[in-house]
Amino acid sequence: MQNDFEPVALAGASDQDISLLDILDHVLNAGVVVHGSLVLSLAGVDLVYVGLNVVLTSVETALRSLQAEEKKRNLR
Amino acid sequence: MTKVLAYCAFLHRTGMSLPEHGLGGAALHEIVLNELRVLWSEVEWPFDPSALQRNAVEFHKVINHMFSQGAVVPFRLLSVFDDRQALADFVAAHQKDFIEDLNRLQNLVQMECVLYFKPQAPTNSSGTDYLQRKADALRGAEACVADIRAALSAFSHGLRTRESKNGSRIFVLVERGNEQKFHSIVQDLPVPERLSRRISGPWPPAEFLTLKPRSG
Repeated sequence: MQNDFEPVALAGASDQDISLLDILDHVLNAGVVVHGSLVLSLAGVDLVYVGLNVVLTSVETALRSLQAEEKKRNLR
Repeated sequence: MTKVLAYCAFLHRTGMSLPEHGLGGAALHEIVLNELRVLWSEVEWPFDPSALQRNAVEFHKVINHMFSQGAVVPFRLLSVFDDRQALADFVAAHQKDFIEDLNRLQNLVQMECVLYFKPQAPTNSSGTDYLQRKADALRGAEACVADIRAALSAFSHGLRTRESKNGSRIFVLVERGNEQKFHSIVQDLPVPERLSRRISGPWPPAEFLTLKPRSG
């Protein structure tokens, strides 16, 4: 995983200095938590951990994609 | 399976506009308790993993739409309720806390500054040297946090810090309209070598909520 403090520009959000990683961080880590509903289990597998793993994988994919787009733009 | 996703709580005022839709175009609904409102919509749960990034951005847009008009108490994206009644019960149980936080934070926003260790290009130095440089840089971050605290003391309504393995994260409460001032002050402060800084905001003041219910 890339350094979690590295800024990544969010495509289409040039009017605001907001990064996709910032958004993911805030919507997942900040605010009211409803613990009871978060801990859902299916066949002994905690969906919270499944979910968070998916998020991390998803962020990494997003970062690679955004960085590739940025490189392409810089080459033009 | 369908679940109820709560976006944020806010205090109703005449003339406020609601977002057109929630996640994936879902209809938005409100829990209404006097002037307290909580926006919610029905979602398919668990989320489709391939849609999580899009969901995060759409979730953020809903909250930001309301935050642009006043204080909000945001919920977390992966925090869902079994049905509307479960959310209504939750809101009713915590309405006093919601209202107190919303009144207290009415005209305040959260600005952030992250100070993080940025290693230079690989050199022939050893791992021990790298760790030493990192430790030195992180000590520098502590001094930098103190500088930021002092520089913002005149107009900050609260400041909290959180340490991580790569640096420090500083959360500052400022009045709406002072975002650029925050940016200018923090940007102008010197940062020790090997530390980088990133400023963001305004965000809903989630770090300053007294309401931190974790039911269940």
